[in-house]
Amino acid sequence: MNGASMRFVMTLAARELRASWRRLLVFFACIAIGVSAIVALRSVVQNVGVALTADARSMFGADLIISSNNPITGVVRQEIAGERTAGRVLDAIDAIELTTMARSMRGPDAGARVVELRAVDAGYPMYGTLVLREGTYRHDLLRDHGALVGPDLLAQLGLDVGDVIGVGDARFEVRGVVASEPGRSVGAFSFGPRVVIDRADLASTGLLSFGSRVSYEVLLRVPETHLDPLADSLRASFVTEYVRVRTYRRAEDRLGENLSRAENYLSLVGLVILALGGIGISSVVRVFVQEKIRSVAILKCLGATTRQVLAAYLTQASVLAAAGCVVGVLIAAGVLAAVPALTAAAPVQVAAMARLEYGLTVSAVAQGVAVGLLVALLFALVPLLQVRDVKPSLLLRHEITPREGIDWTRWSAAAAVAAALVAVATWQAGSVEIALIVCGGLVALTIVLHGAGLALVRAVQPLARARSFALRHAVLQVARPGSQAGIVLLSVGLGVFFILGVRALQGNLLADISLQIDEDAPDLFLLDVQGDQRDGLAAFVDTRNGEEPPPAAIPVLRARVVGVNGRELNLDGYQDVRGRGSLAREYTVTYREHLEDNETLLDGRWWTGGDRSVAEVSIEESLRERYRIHLGDEMRFDLFGRIISARVTSVREVEWRDFRSGGFMFVFSPGTFDDAPHGFIATARGPADPEARAVLISGLSARYPNVSVIDVQEALRLARDVMATVTRGVTVVGALVLLSGTLILVGAVSMTKFRRVYEAAVLKTLGASTRLIGMTLLLEYTVLGAIAGTIGAAGAVVLSWAIATWGLELPWTPAPGLSVAGVLLTTLLVAVVGVLASLEVLRHKPLDTLRAE
Amino acid sequence: MIELRDVSKTVTSGGRPLTILHPLDLVIARGQFLAVLGASGSGKSTLLGLMAGLDAPTTGSIRFDDTDITTLDEDALARLRGATIGFVFQFFHLVPSLTALENVSVPMEIAGRRDALSRAESLLAEVGLASRGHHYPSQLSGGEQQRVAIARALANDPPVLLADEPTGNLDSRTGAHILDLLLEVRRTRGTTFVLVTHDAELAALADRRLILRDGHATLESSTAAARTSRVVSV
Repeated sequence: MNGASMRFVMTLAARELRASWRRLLVFFACIAIGVSAIVALRSVVQNVGVALTADARSMFGADLIISSNNPITGVVRQEIAGERTAGRVLDAIDAIELTTMARSMRGPDAGARVVELRAVDAGYPMYGTLVLREGTYRHDLLRDHGALVGPDLLAQLGLDVGDVIGVGDARFEVRGVVASEPGRSVGAFSFGPRVVIDRADLASTGLLSFGSRVSYEVLLRVPETHLDPLADSLRASFVTEYVRVRTYRRAEDRLGENLSRAENYLSLVGLVILALGGIGISSVVRVFVQEKIRSVAILKCLGATTRQVLAAYLTQASVLAAAGCVVGVLIAAGVLAAVPALTAAAPVQVAAMARLEYGLTVSAVAQGVAVGLLVALLFALVPLLQVRDVKPSLLLRHEITPREGIDWTRWSAAAAVAAALVAVATWQAGSVEIALIVCGGLVALTIVLHGAGLALVRAVQPLARARSFALRHAVLQVARPGSQAGIVLLSVGLGVFFILGVRALQGNLLADISLQIDEDAPDLFLLDVQGDQRDGLAAFVDTRNGEEPPPAAIPVLRARVVGVNGRELNLDGYQDVRGRGSLAREYTVTYREHLEDNETLLDGRWWTGGDRSVAEVSIEESLRERYRIHLGDEMRFDLFGRIISARVTSVREVEWRDFRSGGFMFVFSPGTFDDAPHGFIATARGPADPEARAVLISGLSARYPNVSVIDVQEALRLARDVMATVTRGVTVVGALVLLSGTLILVGAVSMTKFRRVYEAAVLKTLGASTRLIGMTLLLEYTVLGAIAGTIGAAGAVVLSWAIATWGLELPWTPAPGLSVAGVLLTTLLVAVVGVLASLEVLRHKPLDTLRAE
Repeated sequence: MIELRDVSKTVTSGGRPLTILHPLDLVIARGQFLAVLGASGSGKSTLLGLMAGLDAPTTGSIRFDDTDITTLDEDALARLRGATIGFVFQFFHLVPSLTALENVSVPMEIAGRRDALSRAESLLAEVGLASRGHHYPSQLSGGEQQRVAIARALANDPPVLLADEPTGNLDSRTGAHILDLLLEVRRTRGTTFVLVTHDAELAALADRRLILRDGHATLESSTAAARTSRVVSV
């Protein structure tokens, strides 16, 4: 194309844009929404990522951490000392972390909560800072039974700085509030609020007794060059010890991987919205080209080539797409500015996000804009190719000769669009497989929803014979060819589908969990109960939980597999077991006489009395599948130094979802641990009344300070909060899709407005009143909305059923109220938007219209 | 010079071949005024379309000076039209999204002329619409629209002007004005002029008349032709 030709193309594009931007803009708003979703989601994740990884070392709190569930002694200490002498370790400090109870000392029943206690030495933290709400952290603050606590603990127990809390047998004065601390990252799971104390005071709590859930840590400062070799050599030296060796770099890598995966998945959401917008664009461009056929013929008659005309329209589409992208970026900037305010009220795990700073990142903007432009042009291209078929002879004879044979250019363009979409999705998801699944899913969903839409449109056809003029014409309008009903049904239906689907699923999940709580299931779990506390604790709870049954105690021990002599698997020592991955982890095990309700015997026999001279063990089915451990195999376990041998005599399947009786990978025959000291988990049902419940928990905590009380009702509340947040997130996505759908509806109305105005004028000439025409419009969009709502609601029922049944294996219960409400609201939305967008049709005077034609 | 040799057009209609235009030979000399007469559906517009390269003949060849236009591809035809032919249609066929001024400047812009807008202004003044340049077609009366179309047809100073019932959609007074304008253009510029009409009175003004009946052509010279500058035989 030479300069003059280029100039003509630009001039033509500019003039066309001037004439039609208002009608087309609404479709490019779809691009804006999709782009804003991609840019905002990517930016948020990248911002979080920068905050988390910018100073990975201070987030981690050390260069290298050695941790264990047992006190770190002997070989490990010697090794650290040796490395220190050799200069490979510059500094080492100890820290101990455990989950326990903290109780208010304001009164006898002033409340108690599960907390995560961290006992530290001077010199902590090694990197980063412990940020207090007021003042700066010094280790002095902790000396002589001082404590720094998370703000949530103060809120939950109604305490202030200066108050005293009880932890175990000791009391601590609250001397400050922890705003943030190294080593605790955004979104990390925690059992409860943080409490930091001096390690020197930990012994006085008496909590380091056998069986407590304690994590002992040694934090090391290591010269950068020695870090990786040191970690490798420590792992090799400690291969038979009960310790883990982690470095900040490994943590950083893993975090980075998770973040980039999250970023890619989230941006697919934006891509789906964009693709929907693309479908809308494709449909509007088709109508647009239909309207422009005469103009194109005139231009060709005046000497314009097909390439010039095509180039002008593509330029026009590009300009609008670019405008959509700019608007999208602006929306994203607005959303990012609002993130801190939006996340501040969310559950603890998310609330930490509120403290970060948010801004658009260059890469997010670049990706969003690139994808937006690409999708808009790709989807506009195929319908625009139709201008090639416009012959100037059309001006003399009013006919279009359809192209003979297969239009290869058009098919190749369509194939290129599909391939490019998969490529874009691959780029966004960072995985070909996921891209294919998303694109395939979208295509399948589109076909299904489109098919359902057509079927429903056909189903309402009998109404076209109704007596009411308005209803008859409304139905005819919906069903007429090129009515845009298909695309409106698809986009609105998809939005409704997302929103109702996730709501139905949430309903089912909550119903399932509450069902399990509502029955006679225990809702209090008491951890670390010692053997001599069993009876007293049972009596204590029994007198305070009303009609409920007394608590049951399950013995628990921690054990590691240190050898297997079996048919297929032979492992001589712990070193061999380590080679088998997670088989080397520490298992919580128990012994009992009977099978629990949530267990099914798959193979072998259950011990019933008989010979107790040989220890027997029953394994969970997954162990057999993963590690090829079979009936008759001999397994060796290490229980804090005692080696116990047991024969596998049965294989069980555990229903993990049913947590009432707990779930154990290994269950031993009674008597195996008779002479070994061990603790218990007690399960009980607490009083339903929240006040009586709080009194019971704080009473328990005061009398048995080493026992941690996990309140399932509390955990359920948290689960509900988290689920509500997830549901809100998906609802936002659905709402965006619905918004795109509504925009497509508005656009579809404005695209067909000329025809509508003309038809209305003819009808008015023939005697129809404005009211009658208004009624026809209202009915038309009511029918359309009802169909879209039905499609979405039916899709949501299928989706929630499929996920519940196959994905989560939950019993599925329908939510008819939700479906009906969904259909009604969609009908209302489409009817109102449709009629509002069509008001111009009613306002036109028939004479003007007919004269103009 | 426009030269048609053995030109015919057959289309498929209802699955059967239908000949709209039977084989025809015709030479139109430079500067000549030819009227094509005939009833609706006689093949007038088809013939005009073939001459302009808007459509391809089933048989025969059409030459514009030394160029056989039946051998040209779409884009070459478009360039030829832009440079050589001015069009006036019964239904005006202005681009509705462009102003009068822009409609007139389009052919010049396609040709890459830098003075397109200023020349468009003077052309509009020539057809008496100097003050209406910024109006859109829908804001103009039928006669005004046709005058814009004539200004547009003259944009690139084409040696050939083709008009398809240019007054057919106008009242008789306006129609007369439009025709006067066209004839004046032809006179002052020496343009070859082909006028399709079913109005015998109009046709009487031409040098020659081609009468079409069901696709068969008869050529007759006019006594009125004596009044015009040249008479050329076939």
